[in-house]
Amino acid sequence: MPLVELKGICKSFGRVAALDGIDFEIRPNEVVGLLGDNGAGKSTLVKILSGVVFPDRGTILQAGTPVRLASHADAEKLGIETIYQDIALVNSLSVYRNMFLAREETNLLGFLKRRSMKRKTMDILRGSVRISGIDSPDRLVGGLSGGQRQAVAIARAVHFRKKILLLDEPTSALSVRETENVLNYILQLKQDGVSCVFVTHNLHHAHRVCDRFVVLARGRKVTDVTKGVTSVEELTATLVKE
Amino acid sequence: MNLSVARAGRQGAAHPGSHPFSWGALRRHPAGNVLIIFTLVQAGCVLCSLLYPQQFRYVSPLNVQSMLRALPQLGIISLGVGVLMIAGEYDLSVGATFTLSALVTANGFNAGFPLAVAVPLGLLAGAGVGMANGLITLGAKIPSFIATLGMMMLLRGVILFSSGTQTRPFHPGAFCESVLTGSLGLVQASSLWLVAVAVAAWLLMECHSLGNHLYAAGGNREAATAIGVNVFRVKLVAFVVAGVLSAFSGLISTVRVSSVSPIQGQGLELQAIAACVIGGISLAGGRGSMVGVFLGSALLYTIQDVLLLLRAPGFYLDSFIGCIILVAATLNRIVQKEA
Repeated sequence: MPLVELKGICKSFGRVAALDGIDFEIRPNEVVGLLGDNGAGKSTLVKILSGVVFPDRGTILQAGTPVRLASHADAEKLGIETIYQDIALVNSLSVYRNMFLAREETNLLGFLKRRSMKRKTMDILRGSVRISGIDSPDRLVGGLSGGQRQAVAIARAVHFRKKILLLDEPTSALSVRETENVLNYILQLKQDGVSCVFVTHNLHHAHRVCDRFVVLARGRKVTDVTKGVTSVEELTATLVKE
Repeated sequence: MNLSVARAGRQGAAHPGSHPFSWGALRRHPAGNVLIIFTLVQAGCVLCSLLYPQQFRYVSPLNVQSMLRALPQLGIISLGVGVLMIAGEYDLSVGATFTLSALVTANGFNAGFPLAVAVPLGLLAGAGVGMANGLITLGAKIPSFIATLGMMMLLRGVILFSSGTQTRPFHPGAFCESVLTGSLGLVQASSLWLVAVAVAAWLLMECHSLGNHLYAAGGNREAATAIGVNVFRVKLVAFVVAGVLSAFSGLISTVRVSSVSPIQGQGLELQAIAACVIGGISLAGGRGSMVGVFLGSALLYTIQDVLLLLRAPGFYLDSFIGCIILVAATLNRIVQKEA
């Protein structure tokens, strides 16, 4: 039973059909790679999944029941969070203030429970995925490396029990070492029961972590294969051919 | 599975709960520089005053009293402007709101309304202007600098049109006067109000979730929206805060001089922004502290006072302040880059 299912999704912007009859599903405990060249419709699909864009036609199902996905709040209710390439963190704020942004722990009057949030932040960062180098919750996010910021953003999503992470080009701005760490983090997430949609240009990265590959070209789904039956060369060939 | 991410660290490890003091840490705080400069200036003034008591009466009770009485006018407005600047927006109409609300209260009282109606009306006028500024800026999506500039000119015109240029008397009675502007020895009621507003502003920005949202909205609007902060509502609140605090400052000032003039408060808006910049508020938003704003306005007033005591010609003040603004803004930028 897939967690979220998109059926027959169509979306046009003016005369351009960004998505034309797309079926897409996200299953529990899997990392599905969303591949395709520029203009294939990957970001439109991600925007639909995060509630930012509303499809012209098609249905969205959660565990078999049709749902509405027309706003950020709707996506939150479905447990979906998007991790953007230019990371949704505020550089001028500290790690713990970013971690709990919009979900602050407060008392009745709205005043922050700062000590509790700081303690929990360190627990989260030292938790199942240990991100060393962040030794204080008061560090400004702007002073962290790209990989650390990416890790904080993902840790935040996981802590707030998001079931599905949409990772939009998470490794494109990272160094080789940081990329390794993020890819390992994603594999760990799968074990912890979080599914991911991994949008990328880099087929090698995708092949490392994804269980399934969906290739889009010009708004249509071209392939939907599991890892076992394909290779990086084959995927590249499919992409380039379209 | 263990991940080890490459160490970023320029900043030293700090154990949660311990607060090691270092000059570096102080300079990195948004209010660090202004605190250092303020302390030095005050120390210098006190020293000179003790060395040359006849020529430079800085430490005299009269001078302290007059400084404490005059500071809240700029201080209260600057706190409101500071909150808004942290949220990433500007308000150039605070001087006009200062005047408008004083006029509303004075005219209402003189027309026969009780103080209990006239005073809230004045504050409401300030809130209304703030709300209007916010709705125009956020709704029409124009830069707040421009929207509030237009509002300022609009309000100044309305004020002159409805009141002419005459100064009107305003005698709200002994109770009001002592609550807002009374004094007990050196202690001035208006200064106490300034401290109260400063503490409230600090509590809001540092200790309240709304403060966190304000910093986020100013620091990275897209990130804040993506994570679910209602940036529109949060910025609107900041605009209203700036408006209400301008109104409050106008009220105190007008009671202090027992009259209301349609041309009072001109130039306050730029002085408020200057106080904020000197106090460490980033022009781009998302960085700064209320402590810094308080110290920035105090520093501005100190310089004004020093120049008056030295009987320097008027234009020295503007040039001096101009220099300080340039230095402060540059220092802030350097601190930002190092952080």
